[in-house]
Amino acid sequence: MHIALDPRTKLYMILVVSMVVLMTATTPFLWGVRIFMTMVPIILLFIEKKYASAIRFLIFYGLALVLTFFFLSEESSGILTAILIGYCGIVVQFMPAMITAWYCVRTTKIDEFMSAMQKMHVPDGIAISLAVVMRFFPTIKEEYGAIRDAMKMRGISFGDGNALKMVEYRMIPLLFSCVNIGDELSAAAITRGLGGNVKRTSIIELKLHLWDILLMMLFTMVLAVFVYCKYFG
Amino acid sequence: MNSSKLKAKDFITVGIFTAILIVVEFLCGMLGYIHPYIVASYVVMIPLVGAIPMMLFYTKVEKFGMITIMSVLIAIIMFVLGMGYLGAPLIVAAGVIADLIAKSGKYKSFKKTILSYGVFCLWICANYFPVIVTADSYRTDLLDGGYSAEYCDDLFRAINEKTIAVLLILCFVFGCIGAVIGKKVVKKHFEKAGIV
Repeated sequence: MHIALDPRTKLYMILVVSMVVLMTATTPFLWGVRIFMTMVPIILLFIEKKYASAIRFLIFYGLALVLTFFFLSEESSGILTAILIGYCGIVVQFMPAMITAWYCVRTTKIDEFMSAMQKMHVPDGIAISLAVVMRFFPTIKEEYGAIRDAMKMRGISFGDGNALKMVEYRMIPLLFSCVNIGDELSAAAITRGLGGNVKRTSIIELKLHLWDILLMMLFTMVLAVFVYCKYFG
Repeated sequence: MNSSKLKAKDFITVGIFTAILIVVEFLCGMLGYIHPYIVASYVVMIPLVGAIPMMLFYTKVEKFGMITIMSVLIAIIMFVLGMGYLGAPLIVAAGVIADLIAKSGKYKSFKKTILSYGVFCLWICANYFPVIVTADSYRTDLLDGGYSAEYCDDLFRAINEKTIAVLLILCFVFGCIGAVIGKKVVKKHFEKAGIV
């Protein structure tokens, strides 16, 4: 089965999930809604055949949930538990937003994204910059991995224990490669007519399919139920 | 550069440096979950570390709007990552003011760049907004979310409406210090290599 979602649906999903993430769940029912909401992007990841990341997210999120519910409480103290609480806090609280964002970044092609932005009349400046940001996180990770390998090879991973040096040794090469990649990227983009005066056309015709509408309705419902139960229920 | 309109290349530059800045912010942010006092020390860490990419960014800024767009992007990304919308106006305001200050120095004056970066750093304080504005509900939220009472007490001792002024000032001061250091680093590495 293949479901190609419209980028606008994905953006809407991000919006809803971010809003729900802001409101903490207080009752078991709200927790249920939240977990259900988190499952949707994970299932979508499975459908897109991104098994590795889907399973990783599932394990991380599940583990944090179990720990939070069964082992941690207001009274827990001690350094190890403090770190554990921190870990579970960040995962349980922000993981849904991160999974959704990850799903959208991983499955949206840049041209789809740009054409969706054009359709929503987002100013070019914001759209282009946002597209670059989206594309760039994996690049930074890749470049950073290469830098770390190089540092390991020369045995200077810890910069002699000097915090300033540790930052400098990593940051400077990273910036060098990012600036270069940026130059290449702009050359490539300008060749494809980005920043011209005419309206750009897109090879991809975006249309809202049945799945998009269903998902949008689903997420609207999730948001409505959550707000209603938290503030009026 | 006679045209004052932003071109595709400028947008791409903005995007790249925003991504780097977010990564810096995120890595520092991870540490905050160890102890709440580290959350308060973001105002020292992020301006200092973020200064290096930002100073390189400032050398590439020549037109009005680039810093503003960056702040808008940061606001959007902060929202998506679950930091809330309360801080968004502050982030964008800091960006616009920083842009204006840098513009008044024609994006070349070093003193104006320092000031501008100091102001820009105030966006970090936007992350504290939920803690201050909605203190009570935020506390119960944290407790429900699985944080210990100890963490909460420390957090609210470090960040409340009295300390926010100090935090804002610290942000600005360390932004300025960071700018000086960052400029030195940029000079040491990038100007020699001829990249700037």
